[in-house]
Amino acid sequence: MKIPGRKKLIPPVIIQTLKTHPVIIVLITLFMMFSSLYPERFLTPLNFSTILKQFVTLTLFALGPSIVVVTGSLDLSYVGIWMLGGILVWLLMPILGMFSILVIPLLGLATGFLIGVIQVKAKIPSFILTLSLLVTYSGLTATLSGGYPRPVRGYEFITARLIRYLPTAFLWSIPIIIAAVFIIKRTRIGTYLYAIGSNEEGARLAGINVDKYKILAFTLSGLFTGIGSIILFQHLGGATPVELNLNNLVWPLVAIVLGGTPLIGGSGGPQRTILGALTFTVFYRGLLLSLLHPQAIQLLVGLLLIVSIVVGTRGLKGVTIT
Amino acid sequence: MEVKLVEVKGVSKTFNGVVRALDEVSIAIRQNEIVGVVGENGAGKSTLMKILVGVFPPDKGEWYYRGRKIPFPQNPKEATKRGISIVYQEKGVIPCLKVYQFLLLGNEDSYVKISGLHLDKMKKHAREILEEFHVKCDVENFMYELPLSTQKMVEIARAILSVRLEHEDNNITSVIILDEPTAPLTIEERRELFSDILNMKKNASFIFVSHIIPEVMEFTDRVYVLRDGKLVAHYDLSKEKITEEDLFRAIVGRESSEYIYKPEIKRVVSEDVVLTAKNLTKNGCYYDISFDLYKGECIGIFGPAGSGKSEIINTIAGLISFEEGVLIVKGQEVKTKELPHVRLARGIGYFSGETGKELFLNWTITKNISIVNIEKILRKFVPVISFNAEKQMAEKIVQRMRIRTPGINTDCYSLSGGSKQKVSIGKWLERSPDILLLEDPTIGIDVGARKDIYETTSEMKKSGISMILVSDDPKEYSILCDKIMFIKDGRIQKVLSPEQFKKVMAT
Repeated sequence: MKIPGRKKLIPPVIIQTLKTHPVIIVLITLFMMFSSLYPERFLTPLNFSTILKQFVTLTLFALGPSIVVVTGSLDLSYVGIWMLGGILVWLLMPILGMFSILVIPLLGLATGFLIGVIQVKAKIPSFILTLSLLVTYSGLTATLSGGYPRPVRGYEFITARLIRYLPTAFLWSIPIIIAAVFIIKRTRIGTYLYAIGSNEEGARLAGINVDKYKILAFTLSGLFTGIGSIILFQHLGGATPVELNLNNLVWPLVAIVLGGTPLIGGSGGPQRTILGALTFTVFYRGLLLSLLHPQAIQLLVGLLLIVSIVVGTRGLKGVTIT
Repeated sequence: MEVKLVEVKGVSKTFNGVVRALDEVSIAIRQNEIVGVVGENGAGKSTLMKILVGVFPPDKGEWYYRGRKIPFPQNPKEATKRGISIVYQEKGVIPCLKVYQFLLLGNEDSYVKISGLHLDKMKKHAREILEEFHVKCDVENFMYELPLSTQKMVEIARAILSVRLEHEDNNITSVIILDEPTAPLTIEERRELFSDILNMKKNASFIFVSHIIPEVMEFTDRVYVLRDGKLVAHYDLSKEKITEEDLFRAIVGRESSEYIYKPEIKRVVSEDVVLTAKNLTKNGCYYDISFDLYKGECIGIFGPAGSGKSEIINTIAGLISFEEGVLIVKGQEVKTKELPHVRLARGIGYFSGETGKELFLNWTITKNISIVNIEKILRKFVPVISFNAEKQMAEKIVQRMRIRTPGINTDCYSLSGGSKQKVSIGKWLERSPDILLLEDPTIGIDVGARKDIYETTSEMKKSGISMILVSDDPKEYSILCDKIMFIKDGRIQKVLSPEQFKKVMAT
């Protein structure tokens, strides 16, 4: 039974948005829960600022890979690009000076292209390929650096504070996010990538050069990770770690899946990853402030990943994933 | 008269209370014979087989085992107890197992010893079985190393073995259902498989499900013909003298009243050749295929399944490569190996009626239509998709194709089969390539949707699009084609006009 008056209570646009982005409900619920449980800790400008900082980190890592996930593949090389890039900046600083930071996007671009070509030509699962590359890069980082993190000075301006409580890295990330969403939503490239993820055979029959666009997806992913890593490099302390940190690898994946991009491909994309990253950050910060033991938080993060993968793959009743 | 091993009488099955898949069908299988069950797609062959192996229960019917009435099996395991097992068309083989492992898979219980499995005993037993059935292969080989026909034989041996083990009786005669066993095989491999099956006849009876008429004629003792869920004919090939044409007519049905649509296509064919094939050959599939396709012409490639017709059309689409010969598209010679997107750039579109092959099921109608027409909806100065233009294009096609849908933003998986097909072909209508390849364009859809699709294709033809048609339905050829090539065993037998074709089909 439909009550005509009820319709006006919640505008259809909002209902539609909530239906296609169910993670928003999770986000709002978490936010309200934490704000009512311990407002004195959660509802502070400092906490919001931290949430934004962490959100930027997560988003910049997850943005590129989420383009690849749309095609039904997986790209785990992002942490490797960031780590190796950081060390290359340190190595090239004496030669190139300030321009050496540009080595990171170039590395990202080259890495993405390489992964794409190998994946398409050798037809091996992208998961294992990019994972091996990640291990290789982290090994290379440790070798080149001699085993110590190498801080580089001179790029502090990238994250120099402009507005109080608002991390500058967040401002930088906005155009990057817009570019990624634009490519995936408004250009032919985006449409073709969705097509490949949705039905590869169909994409081939529709006259799409599947191999070319798969390579392009990985290249874009590498490029976005590379550009993001310029900001992350400074944002995370002007040096990159020489040891692989599992959280850096897993959290962006949680953000992608939680945002509603199923790993089987064909739907979702960067626009959802942003929501996923924000939700995850609120979730994580909220738990951190709850004075839970850090190990327990780790456990909950793992469970969240499992739940979101199951929900993302099977779909929720009444939720259309497109 | 030999014993009737298995007999079912008056089997009926209705799906969802509407679709009558089987209507009072009765068949019997005697000891040591090969029985053919033939029919078009959707005639009820697979439903009948699934009832026989216990996948579905029938609505009504009786089952006799050696003359005794017993209930229908509830699951495949129970069917094995009744002596019936099935070898599916595809995906039955596990390639990474060794032959003896695959053969005895699921029956390892009898070979367990304290330190694991008794491998020598397994191999010995497997070797004995293969010898008994004259399967020539080594038990230590991996399944994937065997030729496809031998793989099939091992599968059949496995099916017989499962019945024997269930009964713990080596002399029991089993009934093995072969569901289109030759579909993935080349012509030569088929020959081999059949001679092997004939060798096995003394160990088992076979139900041979197929729509390849020559094979059925050659290798079966009796044939049941199903059409629209009814048993329409039953021939004893050893006693009656019937021809391939007789069987063919029984399968497709004499009356064509089903088709309301009578097209008035003025056969305007211009002088420009858009596509030329010269001696196209792909060994094992087709040989020496030569023809010219004119602008606005529709050529049909007609032949029984497995004749190479679908390989030819797939070659032109760029899905498979050819080995010898020349293919010229609009004056340019193409490479033997060229992907579909290159062929599309040359102006060749490919449409297949197979559900879900072309369609992006989790996409909206709009997106499914715009996918091949993106150039048209990009903005002028920046290459950005204009959602407005996309919407207008989709609305136009939905209206023109009379697609029944709540709106253009409906996801395609929720559409009916006919509407899905219309969306698929609608995108080509908008794109209008120079050549459109049609493979089974109306498979599995209702009369109304067929009519709409025929109208659309004729319209496209009128506008100068050339077409090549491959279908399992001979009526389709006389509706759409200007010229029909008969293919048999991969070679062109004769070329007919639609009138001649109708005559051949009628007699």
